[in-house]
Amino acid sequence: MLEELGSKSIISLGNIGRFGRFVWQVMVASSRSCFRVSTYPLVWAQIHAIGVRSVPVIMITGAFVGMTLAIQAYDQLAGMGLEEHLGALINVSVVKELGPVLAAVMLAGRIGGALTAELGTMNVTEQIDAVRSMGTDPVKYLVVPRVLACLLLTPILIIYADLLGILGGYFVSVVQLEINSSAYWNFSASGVELWDVSVGVVKGIFFGGAIATISCYKGFTCREGAHGVGQACTEAFVSSFISILALNFAVDVVAKGIYNTFWTVKSLV
Amino acid sequence: MAEENKENIESNNKGNGDIVTLKNLTKRFGDYVVLDEISLGIEKGKTTVVIGPSGCGKTVLIKHLLVLLRPSGGEVYFKGQRIDNLPEQELNKVRMQYGFLFQGGALFDSLSVVGNVTFPIVQHYEITDWKKVEELVASKLAMVGLDGFQNYYPANLSGGQRKRVALARAIALSPEVILYDEPTTGLDPIRSDIINELILKLQRELGVTTVVVTHDMTSAYKIADRIIMLHHGKIIADGDADHIRNHPHPIVQQFINGQVGEDDLAVLRASGTLTQSQFLPRDFKE
Repeated sequence: MLEELGSKSIISLGNIGRFGRFVWQVMVASSRSCFRVSTYPLVWAQIHAIGVRSVPVIMITGAFVGMTLAIQAYDQLAGMGLEEHLGALINVSVVKELGPVLAAVMLAGRIGGALTAELGTMNVTEQIDAVRSMGTDPVKYLVVPRVLACLLLTPILIIYADLLGILGGYFVSVVQLEINSSAYWNFSASGVELWDVSVGVVKGIFFGGAIATISCYKGFTCREGAHGVGQACTEAFVSSFISILALNFAVDVVAKGIYNTFWTVKSLV
Repeated sequence: MAEENKENIESNNKGNGDIVTLKNLTKRFGDYVVLDEISLGIEKGKTTVVIGPSGCGKTVLIKHLLVLLRPSGGEVYFKGQRIDNLPEQELNKVRMQYGFLFQGGALFDSLSVVGNVTFPIVQHYEITDWKKVEELVASKLAMVGLDGFQNYYPANLSGGQRKRVALARAIALSPEVILYDEPTTGLDPIRSDIINELILKLQRELGVTTVVVTHDMTSAYKIADRIIMLHHGKIIADGDADHIRNHPHPIVQQFINGQVGEDDLAVLRASGTLTQSQFLPRDFKE
């Protein structure tokens, strides 16, 4: 029993160490590649594959988040006679929490799965070894463009999700639930600060980095065969999902601390 | 055992014309020892063929020659410089002097033939004149008999063509050492012979050092200056084709003649008759 626990702990620590080393390699290679012109075409190709093709699915996600929030929150607010405050509630939730998190979860499924499957297949067919055998760093060639594309695009995709979330919420609130349009927007404007939008967008950078790094790592370390690649994809999604939730919590804690310390001083300035 | 040690010592003392040298190379995966203190020198400009049964560690051995795998023990030298302890960045410079033909070709699916062959060039050199690169690619593809296939994708090529494109990619940087991992596996006898002829042609025309891992004895006899046989992680035979043909070791004779051993036959006999193990639907509910 103890022996088993010990051996599992050692394996887990080894995995954490290997992932930490991989993250470090990615950070070093990414910071160097940022200023290298030869990297840009590779990043551009990934931007097309990761970003452009994700826009429709992200917009649909955002729209349904906004619409569902409106339906769910209306009864509770109407019970207190506060239905005109619905705009503030929906839009704060969309831009700060649900929009970024659900958009990131959708991206973890769409992009993360594709990255792991692609790199995993390259791994089992020795294509990654082939890159190394030709004197090229596979992290620099295969991982960095994907990570940079995710870092750049996730915040932008979150903005798209936010926009559609706001529109979806507005549509259900004003058209279906017949809330006064100007009251809806007035309460939204007073309830949502630039800070809320910024926190949501900044979360996108962390989520994008986590999704890309975890998915690439799982692809690089996947086991042989179709089962190995499938298992790596599942693990990549589960790990990315948990990371998104944990990072969301961590960013909220830090953002709250910063807000309480500095944002209130703004009015004095 | 004494014979194995003798062969090992002979491999170690082949001379100073070695371009790659392995000293007491050991590789373990967990508790399983794949390579057990192998010492070997690869002679410059010659073709060395490594033979042995499936799973004996041939691919693991060849991957150590350019440190795609790090050894668990021992040392790897390239042109007298120890390379197994170099960081990846420095190793990449050394690896540029190698060409590696992987068993399945390992072509990049997302790139066309021209993209695959130019890959190492684009990665290491700033291209100012694309026309020159195109000419270079055409000449490399012509060497493997595939000029005109530039815009094909790997999915549209046959197994033999894929290996030839992979070979064109392996020689793109004009390496000093070319490593072939099972180059004829999965090919029909005629395609296999085309690959053998290509290996000989490249060796003859480019003067490169060649290391081939195979269990195809026809291919080994045709291309080898020297044949090494691996068994249970050790070198049990080392010499030219005639030396191997007349080698007294029973495992070597069994392997080169493609005969099943008495031990394996005993296992097959002990596992029951075919009638006993036959599937009969009447014994099972539908």
